[in-house]
Amino acid sequence: MQQSREHTLKAFDEDLDQLRRLIIEMGGHAERSIREAMRCLIEQDLDGAARVVDADRMLDALDLETENRAVEIIALRAPMAGDLRDVVAALKISAVVERIGDYGKNIARRVPLLEDVGDIEPVSVLVEMARMATNMVHDVLLAFVERDAAGAQEVCRRDQAVDDFYDSVFRTLLTFMMENPQNIGHCAHLLFVAKNLERVGDHATNIAEMVFYAATGERLVEQPPKRRKERRRS
Amino acid sequence: MAIPLRRRAADIAAFAFATFATAFGLVWLMWILWTTLIEGAKALTPALFMEMTPPPGSVGGLLNAFYGSAVMIFLGLIIGAPIGVAAGTFLAEQGRYSRLAAVVSFINDILLSAPSIVLGLFVYELVVRPSGHFSGYAGALALAMILLPVVVRTTDEALRLVPNQMREAAFALGMPRWRVTSQILYKSAMSAILTGILLGVARIAGETAPLLFTALNNQFWSANLNAPLANVPVVIFQYAMSPYDEWHELAWAGAFVLTLFVLLLNLLVRFLARRGASK
Amino acid sequence: MNDTITALRIAVPDTASTAGPVKIDIRDLDFYYGKSHALRDVSMAIPANSVTAIIGPSGCGKSTLLRTINRIYELYPDQYAAGSIAIDGRNILDRRYALSDLRRLVGMVFQKPTPFASSIRSNVAFGLSYYERLSRSEIDDRVEAALRQAALWDEVKDKLSHSALGLSGGQQQRLCIARTIAVRPQILLLDEATSALDPISTAKIEELIHELREQFTIVIVTHNMQQAARVSQHTAFFHLGELVEFGKTSEIFTNPHEQRTRDYITGRFG
Repeated sequence: MQQSREHTLKAFDEDLDQLRRLIIEMGGHAERSIREAMRCLIEQDLDGAARVVDADRMLDALDLETENRAVEIIALRAPMAGDLRDVVAALKISAVVERIGDYGKNIARRVPLLEDVGDIEPVSVLVEMARMATNMVHDVLLAFVERDAAGAQEVCRRDQAVDDFYDSVFRTLLTFMMENPQNIGHCAHLLFVAKNLERVGDHATNIAEMVFYAATGERLVEQPPKRRKERRRS
Repeated sequence: MAIPLRRRAADIAAFAFATFATAFGLVWLMWILWTTLIEGAKALTPALFMEMTPPPGSVGGLLNAFYGSAVMIFLGLIIGAPIGVAAGTFLAEQGRYSRLAAVVSFINDILLSAPSIVLGLFVYELVVRPSGHFSGYAGALALAMILLPVVVRTTDEALRLVPNQMREAAFALGMPRWRVTSQILYKSAMSAILTGILLGVARIAGETAPLLFTALNNQFWSANLNAPLANVPVVIFQYAMSPYDEWHELAWAGAFVLTLFVLLLNLLVRFLARRGASK
Repeated sequence: MNDTITALRIAVPDTASTAGPVKIDIRDLDFYYGKSHALRDVSMAIPANSVTAIIGPSGCGKSTLLRTINRIYELYPDQYAAGSIAIDGRNILDRRYALSDLRRLVGMVFQKPTPFASSIRSNVAFGLSYYERLSRSEIDDRVEAALRQAALWDEVKDKLSHSALGLSGGQQQRLCIARTIAVRPQILLLDEATSALDPISTAKIEELIHELREQFTIVIVTHNMQQAARVSQHTAFFHLGELVEFGKTSEIFTNPHEQRTRDYITGRFG
């Protein structure tokens, strides 16, 4: 749903654009963080991992700035309707993106603890999970900037695939651990990494709901219960 | 920043011209007052207000003239002012939308600028001829007719100055029109209406020509309005044209008193206006 | 049948969601200033005991609408209205409905404070003595009650016989409100009543409106959207003489349905 024209006060448009740019910047940062962390994991790049951990501070600073900008816009511009929803969504989204960045940091922290991990088969699946999850983040933030409700909904549907990946990795790693008890340590870490990536997908879905509300003023209908829960009972 | 010389010169020139014009106007006023004072000084004694107009060649006062003028002005006021206020109210309240009101307004403007001698002649034909004699009543009527259009015009203007929202506020409370007018509008416009009446009085105080045809003059003391009645303007007219010095002095004194009266009335008007504006 | 339903829904979009009984039921109202068609086919149901705000750009007809509710436009011969406005079921536009009855029912406060040139007490008592036969002490009681309701009593109780013109702008406006509510109307119309006042006086009057709505049905016209948002429960947006959208204030300002409404309240108009 597009806004038909610009505000009479051009500065208001600039403020909102700046807010959107900040969100996009944060998103790019978080994506890079996760992908870099995964790369360092595979290649055992300890320095790279340390850089990822370090770079998280930048994301925290961006989050703070986004929050400040949003509060300023509310105080000074008294946004209404679509503008108000956009600003409130930006506030919430920045917090979520900051969490996503934290997951990247967590993955990077585990890199030194996972030497010789490239042999373990599930790792390639994790890379694929990371790619899917970060693509979801990328696309949902684009949907936010373009006020694309349909795009947001589409991202929600992709979470299922990420969840399925997680289930499969979980079982594989479990099997691996049962077969080779000396790998339990490594596999435990990999389980956490997988969990983090699955959470990234969930967060992207949360963002999608916020984007949908901001664009349309209506709530996204509840997703059907996850199949994973049915699995656990069996 | 220096203002360009051309502009400054224009500024000074305009200011100088305005000052000169004011001085020019004031000079004449001062001269009139001074002249009437000097010339009538000899007759400006308490006797002026206590004795009657004398026969030719002797001294006296203007008491009967002052009395006659006062009575006729007062009568003219109580005839002309209420009708004038009522008519002015009609024009202001109905005037915007009524053809009749537009016509009335137009006729009023004609009356306002009609020569007073014409009005005097009219009353002569209407009252003096049929009754066979001059009278104070006729004089009062003539003065009323001169006062009337002035009051109509000023009342109309005064009421139009009351903001429309005040009218609407009163109507919105459910008041009928007559109540809105009498209790709200008049209260707001009162000082302006009074100003108009006073200005009208100042005007009729000095009218001579109509009185010539209606009240004429009376040399003796008379309180009989049904007969010729002494009045200041006609006395001045008569005495000024006469060959007697004592009469001349009396005429000057009368002129001085009359001018002073009109001046004081105008000052009163100004005072009232300021009080009305400061509220 | 479906077309009728659709048409009705367009004309009266959110009335079903408004709470409570309807006090003023406007149907198919047209208004003309001479040849100029100022209000076009307006239908709106104003709920009782709440505040309804009317917003819109200049010239959209919001003041015009207000002025039809108490027929104050009848002061001007070239203005006339067609359609119906029902208050408590009776059409007040009907010629047979007495103006004095209507104006006792519906009070109006204007943009510019209009205190009468008399004392504070006589300002407030002005309408009272016309409508009701009251003793002197009863009048004093009603004056005090009205001034208290208008949050002005404490400021003027010692100078009731002073001229009303000596009050400040905000006080004068509250005096006008006291004067209006002294005759105990059921409906209050406020036509940009705080536009000429400073922010503090405005805030006091907004608080007053909030308190008064328990007892009165209040309709305010304002060009200040934030005020409409603060003060009203329902909001109507007008544009070029048409009612574009009418609904709960919270919805109008967070998620309006019509594009024109959206453009106006987000500052994208013009």
